[in-house]
Amino acid sequence: MSNNSEDLSIIGRFKNGDEAAFEELIINYQDRIYNLCLYMLGNRHDAEDAAQDTFLKAYRSLNDFKPKASLYTWLYRIAVNTCIDHKRKPFFESIFRRSDTGTEMVIDYPSVLPSPEKVYESKQIQYALQKALIKLSPKLRAVIVLKEMEGLSYEEIADTLDVSIGTVKSRISRAREELRTLLKDFTEQKQISSV
Amino acid sequence: MNCSKTHRLISPYIDGELKVRDKEAFESHIKSCRACGKAAEEARFQHNLFARAEEFNSPYGFSTRVMANIASEKTGGFSLTLLFTRFAEVIVLLVIIFSGIISGGFLSDRLMAEKKTLIISSFSLDIFEPTPPDSLGGVYLAMAEVKNEK
Repeated sequence: MSNNSEDLSIIGRFKNGDEAAFEELIINYQDRIYNLCLYMLGNRHDAEDAAQDTFLKAYRSLNDFKPKASLYTWLYRIAVNTCIDHKRKPFFESIFRRSDTGTEMVIDYPSVLPSPEKVYESKQIQYALQKALIKLSPKLRAVIVLKEMEGLSYEEIADTLDVSIGTVKSRISRAREELRTLLKDFTEQKQISSV
Repeated sequence: MNCSKTHRLISPYIDGELKVRDKEAFESHIKSCRACGKAAEEARFQHNLFARAEEFNSPYGFSTRVMANIASEKTGGFSLTLLFTRFAEVIVLLVIIFSGIISGGFLSDRLMAEKKTLIISSFSLDIFEPTPPDSLGGVYLAMAEVKNEK
């Protein structure tokens, strides 16, 4: 759970007043944070808002960051809390997506370019999972997304959410149990088609 | 290891968080117990679904937008462009709402005007013709008139 040297260098430069260092930090973590927010909130507009808020909050408090903690678990903590507190923006604010160059269409870019069948299958799975995840309580959703999508260990999840490892274990078990019920039809269908 | 303990350990087993001794006991139990074996298999399948789900990269220009927001926040959050954009949005929304109300008003006035004409024409005695010439009644009246003339 230690920071890598690049993270430490970025933090050091930022603390010395180098603003460009923060953009490097965003570029290094934006995909992971956006993906986490997407699975936490279930749609790309809210995910982008929450991911942006995460980096804004990180910018405000990076000077107080203690290198003892890991940078990505610190960012994940901000992202999870932002997603839990996230309230959908009013309609009139979300009809235009702003950028410095004006309005723009938001497009999702898959991180890899697999075959069309694989794309179709992963889209199907993504849709089913998002539909099921959104029905879980935010606490259960957070542990399962951090575990399954981000691949964090129990210890890292405990550190991110500031809870004990025992709590992480029980929340993951409960989340999986609830997901089993929510995804019953979908998994049966998939199991049949994979035979 | 009994079934109840095995069920509790399914999640840590799948996540590779079990100690060697517990892992061995767990594996030997699911080999001999069909129900626990099935539950573990289902949990493994669900875990694999996440691995097959689509992962997304952040949208194009994401970091630029965050940096622009930071710059805007540093200048006190006041931006003339943003204020103008907000004002333009409000104006566009008002135009849409009022054009809806006005066009709705025109439509309903026109419909009411047509309706009034219909109502008047249906009650007017000027156009009331009890026996049109081509009707059976009209033919009968014409024959009766001819007979009377004779």
